Amino acid sequence: MVLYNFKKIQVVPTSKDFIDIVLSKTQRKTPTEIHKQYAIGRIRSFYMRKVKYTAQSYHEKLTQIIADFPLLDDIHPFYADLINVLYDKDHYKLALGQLNTARNLIDNLSKDYLRLLKYGDSLYRCKQLKRASLGRMCTLMLKQGPSLLYLEQVRQHLARLPSIDPNTRTLLLTGYPNVGKSSFMNKLTRANVDVQPYAFTTKSLFVGHTDFKYNSWQVIDTPGILDHPLDERNTIEMQSITALAHLHSCVLFLIDISERCGYTIKQQVDLFFSIKALFLNKPLLVVLNKIDARKPEDVPEDDWKLIQSLADPAKGGIGGTQLVPMSNLTEEGIAKVKETACSILFEERVEKKLKSTRIEKEIHRLHLAQPQARDKKVRAPCIPESVVAAARQAEMDEESDYKKPTLTAAMMEMIEEQENDEKYAQGIIPIYDVNAWKKKYLLKNDEWKFDIVPEIINGQNIADFVDPDILKRLEELEMEEEAFLEELKNAEDDEESDLDEENEQLYDEIQEKKHELRINHQIKDSSKPQLSKGRKGIDTKQMASHLRSMHHDDEEVDDIISSVRERSKSRISGKKRSRSESRSESQAATSQERGISMNRSQSRQRSTTRVASPAPGEGFHDLAQKEKADKLDKHSRKKRNQDGRKGEADRHIYNLMPKHLFSGKRSGGTNDFR
Amino acid sequence: MATRLQYENSCDVGVFLKLTNKYCLVGQCGSKQFLHTVENRLADHIPVVETSIAGTRIVGRLSAGNKNGLLLPNTCTDQELQQIRNSLPDEVVVQRIEERFSALGNCIATNDYVALVHPDIDRETEEIIADVLGVEVFRQTVSGNVLVGTYCALTNQGALVHPMTSIADQDELSSLLQVPLVAGTVNRGNECVAAGCVVNDWTAIVGADTTATEISVIESIFALQGSKPSNIINNIRNSIVDNV
Repeated sequence: MVLYNFKKIQVVPTSKDFIDIVLSKTQRKTPTEIHKQYAIGRIRSFYMRKVKYTAQSYHEKLTQIIADFPLLDDIHPFYADLINVLYDKDHYKLALGQLNTARNLIDNLSKDYLRLLKYGDSLYRCKQLKRASLGRMCTLMLKQGPSLLYLEQVRQHLARLPSIDPNTRTLLLTGYPNVGKSSFMNKLTRANVDVQPYAFTTKSLFVGHTDFKYNSWQVIDTPGILDHPLDERNTIEMQSITALAHLHSCVLFLIDISERCGYTIKQQVDLFFSIKALFLNKPLLVVLNKIDARKPEDVPEDDWKLIQSLADPAKGGIGGTQLVPMSNLTEEGIAKVKETACSILFEERVEKKLKSTRIEKEIHRLHLAQPQARDKKVRAPCIPESVVAAARQAEMDEESDYKKPTLTAAMMEMIEEQENDEKYAQGIIPIYDVNAWKKKYLLKNDEWKFDIVPEIINGQNIADFVDPDILKRLEELEMEEEAFLEELKNAEDDEESDLDEENEQLYDEIQEKKHELRINHQIKDSSKPQLSKGRKGIDTKQMASHLRSMHHDDEEVDDIISSVRERSKSRISGKKRSRSESRSESQAATSQERGISMNRSQSRQRSTTRVASPAPGEGFHDLAQKEKADKLDKHSRKKRNQDGRKGEADRHIYNLMPKHLFSGKRSGGTNDFR
Repeated sequence: MATRLQYENSCDVGVFLKLTNKYCLVGQCGSKQFLHTVENRLADHIPVVETSIAGTRIVGRLSAGNKNGLLLPNTCTDQELQQIRNSLPDEVVVQRIEERFSALGNCIATNDYVALVHPDIDRETEEIIADVLGVEVFRQTVSGNVLVGTYCALTNQGALVHPMTSIADQDELSSLLQVPLVAGTVNRGNECVAAGCVVNDWTAIVGADTTATEISVIESIFALQGSKPSNIINNIRNSIVDNV
């Protein structure tokens, strides 16, 4: 669980970038076109919007920055102090405070200018007001340059701080420079801290993790500290002091008993006493390091006494402190140090937790319920003999150091791949291979495994619905059909004609003629609509007079005219069909023959176009109105259609060369360059 | 020893796995890694059967069983039933039951001698459970949850129950089941213990998220690897306290 995540703070732009970002955003997100002839209300609101939007963007961005940075009063005192040490609390607060002031100033400024804009009486004045307000906002932000720069640096540094959880189990390594803190850290964890033979190799806090008693432990490597007053300490040392002061952890004070670090044991002991206050009320372990270079027994008597005094309350030490020897080089005692340190802290933490009230809610989790016997039945575990045997075998193998050859995952994968390849070669897709499953069946007789067993779905046997030789049957059916067709064809061929030779010739001729007609008809393509334009026939008057001049009597003339009219009517399509006399007579005759009443309407030969009843929204009152409208519409189009003139629906370019596109001087060459 | 395992990126291995002392059912899985790991652990001793139940992979939640028998829900198809029956040893009775609750694994927690069942389960089903699995059946809840199979992991040697089970409930359950019992979590604090750990009398498979403390509790309570339930009180207690 990471309580403090400083990696999520957003980048703080420089003041110039800040201004660019906000102004370009305003430009992008607000309307840009305004004309002086617009109503003044519109012009005012146009510029007010710009001012308001800019102020709002500034406000949002500044709020974001202020909110992102941790408030020193709210975070864990360790982090608050660390930030103080690294970045100077005053500076930090000042920078954030200045941004806060800038934000308020911008808000007020925009309020003022919006008020002024209300009284802007022309586009020009409004524009000048807008310019002035944006300019003042930007000047304000420009002045925040140093604060923004500082905050950006702080952000970058904060993001790189190790994520230390102040509340978890922690081991803290401390001591003079070069006593072997980082080497010990590298032995305990996999943090891979830089180790060099000079002082202050470690310049900041480092975190590593190690496991002990089913838990993960945080190990913090601190920079070395020198023995001088607190106000003389530099930033690097102060980080160590901060960690020591605020993290509740097990402190491991490392002493180099070989004195190879360049400090005598006396100096190191003095350091212990001078920072003793930081160790109070914390589990403490004094680690005597580098025993490979000098054995604890070889330490001079005086120094050894000094070391012993660390654990002696009478001499100013802290009672109960354990002294543990260790060597990073030979790894002697490292495990002991770890175990001792962890268990001291662990016990302390557990004790504290048990005293807290929260544990009462969780106390049931520490309870092991043991059964009370309710009968005399034995409920023994059921462990297969093979398991017991395997466990025994493993134990024996362990004793005899015999390693049973086991297949690694990669080897198994290879074997499986081979098997799969074989299956693919046989045309079986391994995941659909039913036999792989069947192989594992536990049946009385192994031969039964691959038996074909009826498959039942929903209580019905699939086999009942499967015909094994369905393909054969299909083939049979097809052959049968083929034979039938053949037979049919033959029968047609064999049919005897009942015409004699002469008639047959005639029949052929008729067929030929029919064919010819059909072809001609197709060539002429009379199916296409024909426009009888400009072909004026003779009208009935002319016809009558012509006939009379040819000495036909009136009755005959009438007959001829009516018959001609009849024919022409039937030929010209589009005309309304009327009930012709001849037809009605013949109709009447046939219908009487067939016993059909004359009152029955004639069966129509061709359906006329029917007008659909008006749908709501079409704008017609009733069908009659719609029909009338249709009729008028058709009528109005009739003339034009007959002459084949162009109408509304035809493509039409109103002005092929509009004047404005083809006249005047242009920058890019002559006007006909386009 | 408990193995940490994942089923296709899910730590709820108990959902896809049914483990008893006589057999192990594994949900059909696209990647064979899970099946291979389980087979490595178990195939030398008991049959490991890859199957689906009702066309799903959640075999652990849909079936309930012990060394005597296996109960399958009514949604289980005939083919699946046949596949399972053929793959299991003859002494294991496979029975499909007509029960309203089809997630039998969630409603029944059983070892080889005692079973806890959902309080609303059919009377007939209760009888079938007693007959097929050869167990005493108790209608119970675990810390107020009716899904006893979800919140209780049970073997002949111990039981792990929902972390919020009160001490009185724990004692009652322990006496019913006649095994030592502890309240705990799996998969880094997950309370669905049966989903996070799959155990029988000699082995355990746990979800990949399970912490070392949780594993040590599981190993102790189920007496795996020669550890004893009393370890929880003696050795692991402090770790549990520190993690609370």
